[in-house]
Amino acid sequence: MAGPKTAPSASPNAVQSLLKAYRETTSSRLKLIDSFLLFLMLSGVIQFIYCILVTNFPFNAFLAGFGSCVGQFVLTASLRSQVNPANRSEFKEVSPERAFADFALGSIVLHFFVYNFLG
Amino acid sequence: MVRPILSLTLAVLAAAEVYASTLALQTPRYSLKSPDATEPRSEVLKLGQETLDLTLGPSDTLKLTFQVIEETEGKGVQPHQTFLRFYDEISGEEGIQPVRVTAGGKAKFELNMARPPASLPPTSTNPLKVTLLLGSFTHSPAKFELFNLRLPESQSPPQHSEEASFHPLPEIVHTFRPEQRIPAPAASAFFAAFVFWPWFVLLGLWSFLEPRIPHLFSPYIFPFIGTLGAFEVLLFWYWVDLKLGDVLLYGSVLGAVTALAGKQALAKTAEWRLGRK
Repeated sequence: MAGPKTAPSASPNAVQSLLKAYRETTSSRLKLIDSFLLFLMLSGVIQFIYCILVTNFPFNAFLAGFGSCVGQFVLTASLRSQVNPANRSEFKEVSPERAFADFALGSIVLHFFVYNFLG
Repeated sequence: MVRPILSLTLAVLAAAEVYASTLALQTPRYSLKSPDATEPRSEVLKLGQETLDLTLGPSDTLKLTFQVIEETEGKGVQPHQTFLRFYDEISGEEGIQPVRVTAGGKAKFELNMARPPASLPPTSTNPLKVTLLLGSFTHSPAKFELFNLRLPESQSPPQHSEEASFHPLPEIVHTFRPEQRIPAPAASAFFAAFVFWPWFVLLGLWSFLEPRIPHLFSPYIFPFIGTLGAFEVLLFWYWVDLKLGDVLLYGSVLGAVTALAGKQALAKTAEWRLGRK
């Protein structure tokens, strides 16, 4: 996953400079995907915290919910890396359309298994 | 066909029994002799009246004499079978002792407790009912209740070496895993609501980014999006209602449609992407 290049700035805060570089160099389509990834991560973390703090009953529901977050994150991350124009050299045989089709198919299969397990 | 013949035969036999002569006992007499007493106690058995209770000690002897006669003529008769039955009503144990009867119908039976016969049943403190059973081909069978006899207790049978394993085993007590505790409804409700706030983050970011989807409703693209949405609806329907076979059937049909629509849509987008480049 080609991240934004760290700009040689005099900003004291490394995180701030990273965010700034990200905002400037990433296309809005990629940012769309990135916000979805962030959303998935937050959902997964909340479910995991609930499982640890409160209860893991019913366990199958936790697995289904957490699994859907993780699975979807993986699929979306792979879509992002395949669609990113900066990675064209690595994914010569896979067109962005093909990547999206794979993403759609993978998502549907994931959702089917998640619904099966949800109970 | 068989049943009328059978019933007829039984009727003939029953009729024959009615006309067969009956057997009776003449002068049934018993005597009890103990080793310490000088004179044996000898009495005539009165049948049909209140049953007599006799008790034998470990070294006593009981002698029983009687004669079997035909009731009508009074002639001595030797029945084909003569048995003494010792029966314990409470425990259900019984013993049969054949008695030898002479041709003239005279019979003698001696029970010596010092050397008890093998035909005696195991005894306890319960009294044994002593019955005389007579069987004959030419006469109707007879049964005479003689007396109640109390014998010394017999030894209990030896215990088998593996006796202990032939009794019911102790009841199995299972300890099941305790029921899962359901968390407090307040905590559950709070987290149910809490798990949705990332949606706000997502929608906020997306509205901030203001993505442009110019071709969404174009006739090339929309069928594909529509079939993808239909898939999600199908899966939700599967969760609430549908069975596996049904969802696989519908899914395969919808999948074929989606593949066709997707091929068209993605070819178009590739065309636009390459055209733009």
